[in-house]
Amino acid sequence: MRAAGLGLTYAGGHITALSDFTVDIPAGSVGLVGANGAGKTTLFRLMLGLLRPTAGHIQVAGRDVATDPVGVRSRLGYMPEHDCLPLDQSASDVVSTFGELAGLPTRAARQRASDVLDLVGLDEARFRPIGGFSTGMRQRTKLAQALVADPALVLLDEPTAGLDPMGREEMLELVGRLAGFGISVILATHLLDDVQRVCEHVVMIDRGRLVRAGPIEALLQTIGVMRVEVGGRDDAVAVLAQALAAKGLASTAVDAHHLDVDTSRHGDEAFDSVRDAVADAGLRLYALSTQHRSLDDVFIQEAYR
Amino acid sequence: MSAQSGLAGAVYDRGYRPYVGPRGGRQEATIALWRLSVRRALGLRRSWRQKVLPWSLLAIATVPAVVNVGVAFALKDNPLDFRDFEFITYREYVGVSTTLLLFVALVAPDVMCPDRAQRVLPLIFSRPLTGPDYVLAKVAAITTIVFGFGFLPQVVLYVGQMFVSRDGALNYLTDHAGPLWQVPVSVLILAVYYAAIGVALSSLTDRRIVGGVAILGLFLITSTVASIFEAAADFHGTPLAVLNLLSLPLAVRDLVFLGRLSHDQGLSGVDGGGAVAVAGYLLVVLGAIALLLRRYREVDL
Repeated sequence: MRAAGLGLTYAGGHITALSDFTVDIPAGSVGLVGANGAGKTTLFRLMLGLLRPTAGHIQVAGRDVATDPVGVRSRLGYMPEHDCLPLDQSASDVVSTFGELAGLPTRAARQRASDVLDLVGLDEARFRPIGGFSTGMRQRTKLAQALVADPALVLLDEPTAGLDPMGREEMLELVGRLAGFGISVILATHLLDDVQRVCEHVVMIDRGRLVRAGPIEALLQTIGVMRVEVGGRDDAVAVLAQALAAKGLASTAVDAHHLDVDTSRHGDEAFDSVRDAVADAGLRLYALSTQHRSLDDVFIQEAYR
Repeated sequence: MSAQSGLAGAVYDRGYRPYVGPRGGRQEATIALWRLSVRRALGLRRSWRQKVLPWSLLAIATVPAVVNVGVAFALKDNPLDFRDFEFITYREYVGVSTTLLLFVALVAPDVMCPDRAQRVLPLIFSRPLTGPDYVLAKVAAITTIVFGFGFLPQVVLYVGQMFVSRDGALNYLTDHAGPLWQVPVSVLILAVYYAAIGVALSSLTDRRIVGGVAILGLFLITSTVASIFEAAADFHGTPLAVLNLLSLPLAVRDLVFLGRLSHDQGLSGVDGGGAVAVAGYLLVVLGAIALLLRRYREVDL
């Protein structure tokens, strides 16, 4: 997916849903993260060609959405966040129905429905009405209908919403396998932990604006906290903090012997700087360790900077 | 453990197989939606309760044809000359299709309302379909069923009359060539009219019962209001009779069969009554379609 200067405003420009959104999302598994109302579903609507942007343009699967929305939709699968299944029909009928609506011949749609329901673990229950399904089974049915036409890209909107821990594990395991089947995934969620587990790339969005995008590993390198334990003087922590500040490193005292050093945007050089600062101040260095980094830290740092 | 039991306990992970077969576009998707809507309306692949109504109505609509043919058959060898007994004409029989309005009031909301109430529309519109495709498929589905249920009894009547005719089947066919085109055309006119109105009104609500009541209420209220205007005009005819949405398609049917309005039509005493009827008919159908296109112009996810 490629978006350039994408914008969407409502009410004569008074409400901004998306603003100057420029991003290049590669094939593979990508997490689209942001708080509720950040603009994730709006971005999906624009990708599906169900909304026209008021600025910029967007390409999906190599096709321009503005000029060929139907062509784009023929290669996409979509799993909405909300309930969207006819409760009086069986999972098999529903999934094959959406296969047919995606242009598959009837017999192929039924065969594909059987295959993907098997894949998502609903082989036993596929002939039962969806009205009697648990939340987890309904989520699996929604995923199956998104996969039935073998899309190039599948848009998953909060697929783990409402699932118990076991159901969430199973859903994430399924989503994690899709890239291996040659199906690119964009996983919209506000649960950064889910993204960190199953995605290679992340796009962070907040109040309709792009916060950060890139490979998750690279993003995690951009932030960090180093826990330093020093001694040798009663005011060792204060002295070290002052020395680090002179080198451009911010730090926070934890107690009389520990302080956390913000190593964001300094990388491994921060270790050398801390070592030198401790030596120059005549302090004793007892321990030096990197704290756990997560996408939550990246998001909070970038969104609220 | 024997080889037999070992085989019985084998588990195969078939994994994921990409689809490499043919893949249609908008046209195929629209046809699929039409087919699925027809299937739903007829109760196919649904419980027996959903099948009772459509098939009972088809049976009831066929009763006049069966009775007519049966009586004609019984009187065939009667010494009295009941030449080609006919207690119902083809034109009148099209009017009997009005009973299918009840069917439309039940089926159109059933085909439309759940898509919105159960929020299935986002899934449908994430497929290679557009709003006009959706409208076309739904209106065509109801039209198909109403046409089928209006036309099949006519076929029973015509074929039955042909075979019990005293003059012989071939002579009956040549003497009654008109209905061969008049019947399908006029039944189609009724079917399109009912389908457009039924689907349009159903699209305005999430609740099936409200949709059904709205459809029946519209026809009941407009026919009552038009009757008041007709009575006020001492039944000499008034252009306001065009407001009678129940008899409007029957007036167009009269034009197909007779080339003029029959005397029981409220517009029959009006100058250019036929043109008024056709204009009213087109206005209603096109208005309903315009409403539908506007309604499905944009869909929320």
